[in-house]
Amino acid sequence: MKTRVLLFGQLAEITGSKELEMEGCADTAALLSILHEQFPVLAQSKYVVAVNQEMISGNKNLPENSIVALLPPFSGG
Amino acid sequence: MKEVKLKNIFVQGAIAASFIADSIQKHSSKTGIGGHSIFLGQVRADEIKGKKVTAIEYTSYEEMALPKMHEIREAIFEKYELTCMHVYHSLGKVQAGEICLFVFTSAPHRKAAIEACAELVERIKAELPVWGAELFEDNTHQWKLNQ
Repeated sequence: MKTRVLLFGQLAEITGSKELEMEGCADTAALLSILHEQFPVLAQSKYVVAVNQEMISGNKNLPENSIVALLPPFSGG
Repeated sequence: MKEVKLKNIFVQGAIAASFIADSIQKHSSKTGIGGHSIFLGQVRADEIKGKKVTAIEYTSYEEMALPKMHEIREAIFEKYELTCMHVYHSLGKVQAGEICLFVFTSAPHRKAAIEACAELVERIKAELPVWGAELFEDNTHQWKLNQ
């Protein structure tokens, strides 16, 4: 089961990549815990999560080929 | 699912004053309009720890930003009696002193135009997934925080 992970702003700098591909994550909690382990700075960063372009709160199941986006605080305008 | 054609608000680089002038000119045929309100966001040369901001580089999650902008647009049209509304936001590099956001509302009467414009600007800054990196003279940068 594949999940595409998109990272924006300072989060892309932390991971060194704007896009990651992850295998076998059943839900967002599982995915984030792997990412936090791999990138400890990410765990201390402020961000919200979107699954397939919808902002979520709490944990959410990830169907095959989901797109998870990690969005740091917005600073447009 | 209803297919909605999303307006693209993003432009590459700065928004030219001539583009804004043309946009105003185009409204002369809409004679029901009695008032326009325009907000222009400009990149400020902040000085942070002795280093000057020379430009802001904007990125966005466009697949999310455009549907969100559509939702905001609908809500504003619902709330205020507007004739029309135009929003343009820069992506990529915009130098200090250049325009990075252009919000333009028109209405039969001034109050709706002014209030809608103000609310649009606030919602754009708070709700659109857009990020600005403040670039310094020495090629370092920091991530902008909206106040």
